[in-house]
Amino acid sequence: MEQTYQYAWIIPFLPLPVPMLIGVGLLLFPTATKNLRRMWAFPSILLLSIVMIFSTNLSIQQINSSFIYQYVWSWTLDNDFSLEFGYLIDPLTSIMLMLITTVGIMVLIYSDNYMAHDQGYLRFFSYMSFFSTSMLGLVTSSNLIQIYIFWELVGMCSYLLIGFWFTRPPAANACQKAFVTNRVGDFGLLLGILGFYWITGSFEFRDLFEIFNNLIYNNEVNSPFVTLCAALLFAGAVAKSAQFPLHVWLPDAMEGPTPISALIHAATMVAAGIFLVARLLPLFILIPYIMNLISLIGIITVLLGATLALAQKDIKRGLAYSTMSQLGYMMLALGMGSYRSALFHLITHAYSKALLFLGSGSVIHSMETIVGYSPDKSQNMVLMGGLTKHVPITKTSFLLGTLSLCGIPPLACFWSKDEILNDSWLYSPIFAIIAWATAGLTAFYMFRIYFLTFEGHLNSNFQNYSGSQNTPLYSISLWGKGCSKRINKSFRLLSLLRMNNNESSSFFSKTTYPSDDNVRKRNRGRPFINIVHFDNKKPYSYPYESDNTMLFPLLVLVLFTLFVGILGIPFNQEGTDLDILSKWLAPSINLLHQKSKDSVDWYEFFKDAIFSVSIAYFGIFLASFLYKPIYSSFKNFYLINLFVKIGPKRRYWDKILNVLYDWSYNRAYIDAFYTTSFTGAIRGVAQLTHFFDRRVIDGITNGVGVMSFFVGEGIKYVGGGRISSYLFLYFSCVSIFLLVYFFIPFDITFESFI
Amino acid sequence: MMNHFPFLTIIVVLPIFAGSFIFFLPHRGNRVIRWYTICICVLELLLTTYAFCYHFQSDDPLIQLVEDYKWIDFFEFHWRLGIDGLSIGPILLTGFITTLATLAAWPVTRDSRLFNFLMLAMYSGQIGLFSSRDLLLFFLMWELELIPVYLLVSMWGGKKRLYSATKFILYTAGGSVFLLMGVLGIGLYGSTEPTLNLEILANQSYPVALEIILYIGFFIAFAVKLPIIPLHTWLPDTHGEAHYSTCMLLAGILLKMGAYGLVRINMELFPHAHSIFSPWLMIVGAMQIIYAASTSLGQRNLKKRIAYSSVSHMGFIIIGIGSITDMGLNGALLQIISHGFIGAALFFLAGTTYDRIRLLYLDEMGGIAIPMPKIFTMFSSFSMASLALPGMSGFVAELIVFFGLITSPKYLLMTKLLITFVMAIGMILTPIYLLSMLRQMFYGYKIFNVPNSYFFDSGPRELFLSISIFLPVLGIGMYPDFVLSLSVEKIEVILSNFFYR
Repeated sequence: MEQTYQYAWIIPFLPLPVPMLIGVGLLLFPTATKNLRRMWAFPSILLLSIVMIFSTNLSIQQINSSFIYQYVWSWTLDNDFSLEFGYLIDPLTSIMLMLITTVGIMVLIYSDNYMAHDQGYLRFFSYMSFFSTSMLGLVTSSNLIQIYIFWELVGMCSYLLIGFWFTRPPAANACQKAFVTNRVGDFGLLLGILGFYWITGSFEFRDLFEIFNNLIYNNEVNSPFVTLCAALLFAGAVAKSAQFPLHVWLPDAMEGPTPISALIHAATMVAAGIFLVARLLPLFILIPYIMNLISLIGIITVLLGATLALAQKDIKRGLAYSTMSQLGYMMLALGMGSYRSALFHLITHAYSKALLFLGSGSVIHSMETIVGYSPDKSQNMVLMGGLTKHVPITKTSFLLGTLSLCGIPPLACFWSKDEILNDSWLYSPIFAIIAWATAGLTAFYMFRIYFLTFEGHLNSNFQNYSGSQNTPLYSISLWGKGCSKRINKSFRLLSLLRMNNNESSSFFSKTTYPSDDNVRKRNRGRPFINIVHFDNKKPYSYPYESDNTMLFPLLVLVLFTLFVGILGIPFNQEGTDLDILSKWLAPSINLLHQKSKDSVDWYEFFKDAIFSVSIAYFGIFLASFLYKPIYSSFKNFYLINLFVKIGPKRRYWDKILNVLYDWSYNRAYIDAFYTTSFTGAIRGVAQLTHFFDRRVIDGITNGVGVMSFFVGEGIKYVGGGRISSYLFLYFSCVSIFLLVYFFIPFDITFESFI
Repeated sequence: MMNHFPFLTIIVVLPIFAGSFIFFLPHRGNRVIRWYTICICVLELLLTTYAFCYHFQSDDPLIQLVEDYKWIDFFEFHWRLGIDGLSIGPILLTGFITTLATLAAWPVTRDSRLFNFLMLAMYSGQIGLFSSRDLLLFFLMWELELIPVYLLVSMWGGKKRLYSATKFILYTAGGSVFLLMGVLGIGLYGSTEPTLNLEILANQSYPVALEIILYIGFFIAFAVKLPIIPLHTWLPDTHGEAHYSTCMLLAGILLKMGAYGLVRINMELFPHAHSIFSPWLMIVGAMQIIYAASTSLGQRNLKKRIAYSSVSHMGFIIIGIGSITDMGLNGALLQIISHGFIGAALFFLAGTTYDRIRLLYLDEMGGIAIPMPKIFTMFSSFSMASLALPGMSGFVAELIVFFGLITSPKYLLMTKLLITFVMAIGMILTPIYLLSMLRQMFYGYKIFNVPNSYFFDSGPRELFLSISIFLPVLGIGMYPDFVLSLSVEKIEVILSNFFYR
């Protein structure tokens, strides 16, 4: 048993040979390496499976007899400084190890098919394996410096993978944005690490906590400075986990291939921030204000992410904002001090979200053959719809993921989210109300995505259904029905604050409008004649289900989504109700003086659960009311008509919707604000310093040069070699001399006289 | 303490001596000259490595391999060479980078005899500078360095090469005036007989006012070379115009002579003045990081952008030197080595890219990743190294400088906080300019008017070159003791001056 721990250092290094071999191979023997192609997927999956077996073993041991194992090697620079590198296996690490390896293997299997025809297949696998290495290194690291090292490395992997399709300008911008935003977080992280090193003199977690505890106990710390350092440390987590001020990179990161979004930007890397805060919770809990800050950031992100997810037309962006919102829940839970529920939600969310992303990838994969390979089309939910018939398995798994994320029992996320919501009541009623309301929003936007994608009829071939409807299907705008006119108007008003991407959106509303009018005018004659923009080569083709290699990971993740909740369900066994997760986390919870819950009050539990589930159902109902395709049932059609006829009230309603729509569509104006303020400021400074450098500093140098040129010319002119001027100079000097000669003796005699 | 075999003299003299035979080689095209030069370089590198492996003890802080011959008896001028932990790193770096630079210069066909001779002359000058133990010899080597650089820039440069070369020579010659005054000032102080031996001088003490004046004199000379703002404007012009093999030498080694001089002379000889000036050094260093990084962002010219990034990275060296701690100084030395590799590689890659696409401005480029994936890979890797990605040498160097600053007992908490903060802002700016450079060059998609035949990917020679620079970068990043173990002892000795005097 000890042996497993002793060899645990090998965990991060196991997947490393793959990227090294592929990299060397691609550089030195490109053709041979490319011929092997699909063979390379096998070793990467195999190595990751070995890591999974390893970490399963570790986890089982942790559950049975949880103790913390640490091993360090020290690297001495000189007498008074040494860095220690090592690894730390504790419950938190083992949970993360399990998570990374299971999701990682599924995603690798999935991407073998998803990327099969991509030119960068090998590059993709080497990046993925390198990402696994650095992520595994991150979770097993035993001190802050090591965390920082791997933190940067996962950031680099994320950069490379977002910019994977580097010929696309949006991908190029997105990867740079992601890296720089993460660097802002790393800036905080590094300063925080240095600050705590200055305070305690240690980087290692357990020493750090101990020394800091003593310092607090003896009241020897400068409280504002400590708070500042902790806030800076937290900034790193904020950037990595896409929390409120630094969340801007996450939705853009969806430019990367979909398996990446599932693995890195939903399940593992974005959880690194949560991991860091969880790791440092013993430290944060001692510092006043910082816990409040964490929960505040968490709750802001929860709400912001949910509202921003409301009006995305890109399926992956919608899911990205949902990820952000769910990460906010975890951060909130950590800020409230409920360590267990945060980790529980981390696990359940990772599986559900990976499932959703892989499902969306499958949808995109099948849409691509119809609408073309541009992400503007293949990921556009407006062009989807009615996929239920064509991709039934994907649809079922996606539905399960959606239900799980909405918090419908007995799926995984229900258990964890319910726990967080319950804990939030104990913490602060305002936060609790926001958190509950957001649960409703979550259900709403998730089902909006679901309905737009899978219900109704395929919108990219909508010509087939045009005849009988007065309301053209195409004008079912993303925000319910019929309010896109106002959107169009307000676009112009606010166009100053827009980002570049409004071109695509206005493209969209422009195309709707003519068609809309057209249909109304030529009622049933030849409708939709002018909508041929979407280059449909095969107008009657339908998407079909993806290959089995892609469906297999989906189904496995469905199983996880169904059953991973069991981890946290308390079993009443002979009075001691210990669930697996609590047992797993036992030492860490003891560390955090867990609020002593005597026993789970089932009555309380059911009461809260019913409340939260009913809110979720309300959200789902609302979504189905707005997005359920109208022609599918007369009742809905009637209802909507009734709704339309309400009149003045509707106007008011529209206004609210428009504000919300704008808010969400423009990403709460935060991106635009950053662009104008920070990017603009940096550009301005760059221009200014460039100007200063060119004109002032270099100007002085050049000025000296030019001046010396003129002086030289002047001297040359003086020494021009003309005899007359020499003679003139000579005689004038002589005459001055004579004058002086005449006057000075007089002066002297005058003086001597006196 | 005389060695039996004059290794250092041979090492210093061999390149220029063998280089002068280039002119007597038969006229059989450039091939012979190239191979001859590269063989000399490799021989020299092997000789250096051999001498250092077997005749140098890294745990001994004293000067080793000393050679001392009288040269001009009249004023005690000696040919005095010796190396210690401080100089061994730069000498090895010189050997490595110069060898690779001659390899990189293979496409040069015009006047290749002179070109290769000048490269070899620079080789001698640089090693002579790093190994000289006599102040006047130091000065001579310093000057010897200038002439080849001037000729290399003015003959094989770009469009504005004469302007750049003149600017370079004026700036550095202006700095040399101060250097000469400092050398004479030290040499003639005190006794009637001039003392120029660095070992004797290191134990001499001066009145504070004189020490400050001498310190300033030397500082200006080194500040031009390093460069320190506001004396840096020769650098972007020279780097922008020079051929990339020259750029490799300039960025890889020449800049480091300034840093080496600061440690070797300013820190070792004038500890008092150094501790007076060190806060200013820190401030200047921090400003330089930010200033050069943001100027780099405003550059359209690819080579100038990289040149400003070098200036920005030199800021870490200045801060490391100014921190007066073991860690800080070790970090500065490591940064010298690390930037020597990374800067040289970036200039090399920029040059090879320019050879292919013939475009100088970033906003005209774009989308060349598809025709040249290998160059793209190497460029990305070195940009990552330059922006201090962990696992590569730049990260370790900068991190150690950070530690040096934090642990420095000399400064107040507030100052340290501010300087650290400013340095860390530089950490944000660095990826902005490097990554946007990458994005503008490689990402996106563009159809060029240039016929496609120019767009071949890097060949085996270029690939070999970049990989052989990349490996040490990785190696130092993984295990920095390779370099640090050489210098740790010596640095402790230097710093002990600051506490025992």
